[in-house]
Amino acid sequence: MRAPAAGDQAAREILLSMENVSLSFGGVNAISDVSFDIRKGEICAIIGPNGAGKTSMLNVINGFYTPRQGRITFKGVARAKMRPYEAAERGIARTFQNVALFRGMSALDNIMAGRTLKMKRGLLWQMLRYGPAMAEEVEHRRVAEEIIDFLHIKDIRKVQVGRLPYGLQKRVELGRALAMEPELLLLDEPMAGMNLEEKEDMSRFVLDVNQHFGTTIALIEHDMGVVMDLSDRVVVLDHGVKIADGTPDEVKSDRNVIDAYLGVAH
Amino acid sequence: MQADSPAKGEHGAAPVTDPGATADTFPKLLIHNARTRADRPAIRHKDLGIWRTWTWAEIFENVREFSVGLETLGLARGDKLAVIGSNRPRLYWAMCAAQGLGAVPVPIYADAVAEEMAYVLEHAEVTVAVVEDQEQVDKILSISGRLTGLTFIVYDETRGLRDYDHARLKSIDGVQERGRDTLARDAAAASRWDASVAAGKGGDLAVILYTSGTTGRSKGVMLSYDNVIISARNGNLFDRLDADEEIIAYLPLAWVGDHIFSYAQSYVAGFCVNCPEAPETVAEDRREIGTTYAFAPPRIYENLLTLTMVRMEDAGAVKRRMFHFFINHARKWGEKILNKEPVPLWARLVYRLGDILVYGPLKNRFGLTRIRVGYTAGEAIGPEIFRFYRALGINLKQLYGQTEASVYITAQPDGEIYADTVGKPNIGVDVKIDDTGEVLFKSPGVFAGYYKDPEKTAEAKTPDGWVRTGDAGFFDPKTGHLKIIDRAKDVGKLNDGTLFAPKYIENKLKFYPNIREAVAFGDHCDCVTVMLNIDLAAVGSWAERNTVAYGSYQELAGHPLVYDMIAKHVIEVNRSLAEERVMAGAQIRRFLILHKELDADDGELTRTQKVRRSFIAERYEPLVRALYDDSTQADIATEVTFEDGRKGVIAATVTIRDVVPAPVAPVLGKAA
Repeated sequence: MRAPAAGDQAAREILLSMENVSLSFGGVNAISDVSFDIRKGEICAIIGPNGAGKTSMLNVINGFYTPRQGRITFKGVARAKMRPYEAAERGIARTFQNVALFRGMSALDNIMAGRTLKMKRGLLWQMLRYGPAMAEEVEHRRVAEEIIDFLHIKDIRKVQVGRLPYGLQKRVELGRALAMEPELLLLDEPMAGMNLEEKEDMSRFVLDVNQHFGTTIALIEHDMGVVMDLSDRVVVLDHGVKIADGTPDEVKSDRNVIDAYLGVAH
Repeated sequence: MQADSPAKGEHGAAPVTDPGATADTFPKLLIHNARTRADRPAIRHKDLGIWRTWTWAEIFENVREFSVGLETLGLARGDKLAVIGSNRPRLYWAMCAAQGLGAVPVPIYADAVAEEMAYVLEHAEVTVAVVEDQEQVDKILSISGRLTGLTFIVYDETRGLRDYDHARLKSIDGVQERGRDTLARDAAAASRWDASVAAGKGGDLAVILYTSGTTGRSKGVMLSYDNVIISARNGNLFDRLDADEEIIAYLPLAWVGDHIFSYAQSYVAGFCVNCPEAPETVAEDRREIGTTYAFAPPRIYENLLTLTMVRMEDAGAVKRRMFHFFINHARKWGEKILNKEPVPLWARLVYRLGDILVYGPLKNRFGLTRIRVGYTAGEAIGPEIFRFYRALGINLKQLYGQTEASVYITAQPDGEIYADTVGKPNIGVDVKIDDTGEVLFKSPGVFAGYYKDPEKTAEAKTPDGWVRTGDAGFFDPKTGHLKIIDRAKDVGKLNDGTLFAPKYIENKLKFYPNIREAVAFGDHCDCVTVMLNIDLAAVGSWAERNTVAYGSYQELAGHPLVYDMIAKHVIEVNRSLAEERVMAGAQIRRFLILHKELDADDGELTRTQKVRRSFIAERYEPLVRALYDDSTQADIATEVTFEDGRKGVIAATVTIRDVVPAPVAPVLGKAA
């Protein structure tokens, strides 16, 4: 199903590298000493049982949490601390486990909101909607429309997202993230709460995003079927510790992973 | 075509000495339009949220490049070119591009599964397939092992196809570019193409349309240029359509209706065809365009009305009362005003007010504000629905046609509109009824034959040129209009000899918004029974208002309160059947509500959404058996096909209800 690039995995350039990252809330260690790389152009899944620290990991990557220790290198630049908007500016976009859209706005406006960082003219220019600001808006609208076309949501372009069913809201959210033209796209349970057909649609879109735009994707997902089909590589966390990292096949047969999921007789 | 001259006066767009009237193929018509209407819009497509327009001059260039490009791929006179996809400008151009080379387009239903497609592609010996996107490419590739004659697949939408093996795959852009290069490089190429167009004659095969077929394999109906173009010309004349019309093309390319309305009539009259952005956006797109000429199966009008009624139930009390007041007024007077009958002044004034407050906004919502002529065809339309639209001032009319007739057999002339007839024979059409009640016709549109099936052709065509429609009907003595009862072979008899016309009963049931589909049984049985499908939108909204909780379609369909409500409809239908002498014996005794929606993917409906009765009887055999014994419940397990082609099994227990027939009224002298 995937592009035939799987063979040259190791040769691919590293986009994001996590080295010995630890995160704690008070006395609780959410993530302890985890290291892994995300390579350019791959789909990397982060899986693990409940409370394994998956969402925390995404939050660390996009700067929402600052790790207690460890080094994060994105596009060759190491950083100690980064705010979410800085992460966004540098090309990291995300969607949320619970849809976080502007509910009162249309699908189109939500996606246009994803273009905010790309807008060069200031607020005043944009309010005037004249001359160069207008030209810029037209260009952004074109990008937004391409995304709408890509995600097959033409019929809900002007519908308030609050009125849309959940599966479509998730799609609009993906659209907003895509509007940032990110290099790294973080998807937090993109298929949670969806029925089979919606899951298949979403899987298709994730693969298409990866192939069509060449976007690197890191996703958290509980549906193992989806994870094994979609991802080039799987990182498994359990209680904040990395217990496996490899291709879906490797991970599937890993003793530690099986124990973590099925439990161990003590 | 001298026949063109009369009655054209008042629109005046097509002069009497229009040389286009002598053009006897589509490429010739295109050349003519590019010359006389160069800067007028020919086709529009909404893409990325914006309507893009091509003029006749532009589409001429596009079609010629496409055509020459196809020639470099080896497409030659007599070859078949399949066209698969939704209504997009470039797929329409593909048809004309093929015809420019003397090749024959074969449009195929885009939602057909690979297996169905394989049959048509194989049977028609298609050499080049022009398709919309990756989905269709995948389907064809999955069956390409069987298609030895297929040389190239040409696609419109490039997305997702980058990593495919491009040895046999070409993009339309690429093909057009080859054509453009050839035309630029080789000065003789253009004149060669002109010569190829000139070599086409009216009697040549123009298109093969595969009928969706309520029974068995689909048949390839061969239509000549004369069939299609003369029919289109007569159709334009009948409704005085000219170059100023705007239509929206959204029905399947493979359906003869779309071929005539969105292709032939547009080329002949020179009007503009609008391609919607996506199937889901048709209503919105129609509203933006404001079509003047519309064509839709009754289902579309039904859905619009059901949706409106459902929404009105949710509206505020003031709006709702205003709506009902004016709609009732329109029901009483609207049709009379539309038919230009005498109407009291006060009624006119109230209607005018209603137009501002209700009818106007409603028509705007429907995208029918500018409508001049709207047709419904393919199935009978509910009289209530039909009158509703006419009451709003929409000139909705009925038409009766067939692929074998290039659509037109009968149609209702303006001012002669009845809910239960299909009108008078069209211009140039003769209609007769044989001893068995079957309708036969003769017209310029009579098809050349079924492709590679002389036997079937001989069955349908009498030696003296009449065509059997397979429909039973009669001429209404009062109006002189044709009335269709049912498919001739479907009309059966109950064991006691009573006439049983299943569709007649089904249609009466389907006119209730809560009932989406009905299948009646009774031939060679003691009584009539029916299987019903509820309409999820209508019944769902009813459930919400009546606090009926349900988790799925299946649960809602089996709900006792839903059964009660549907039983009321069945009783009303019985009452209406009891009033008609011929039908009174065929009242419904038992019914059930099916646990799943009938679906074309499961073979239960044709691609044009007609029920396949015998297939359903076979598939739901346990249910049919239960309808005729005394059981009140029956178990059923059926295999279903999901949209991606996977299969699953749905099991359910279905309840069966008895209905008391209405007393038969004394003879009222009312005709059926």
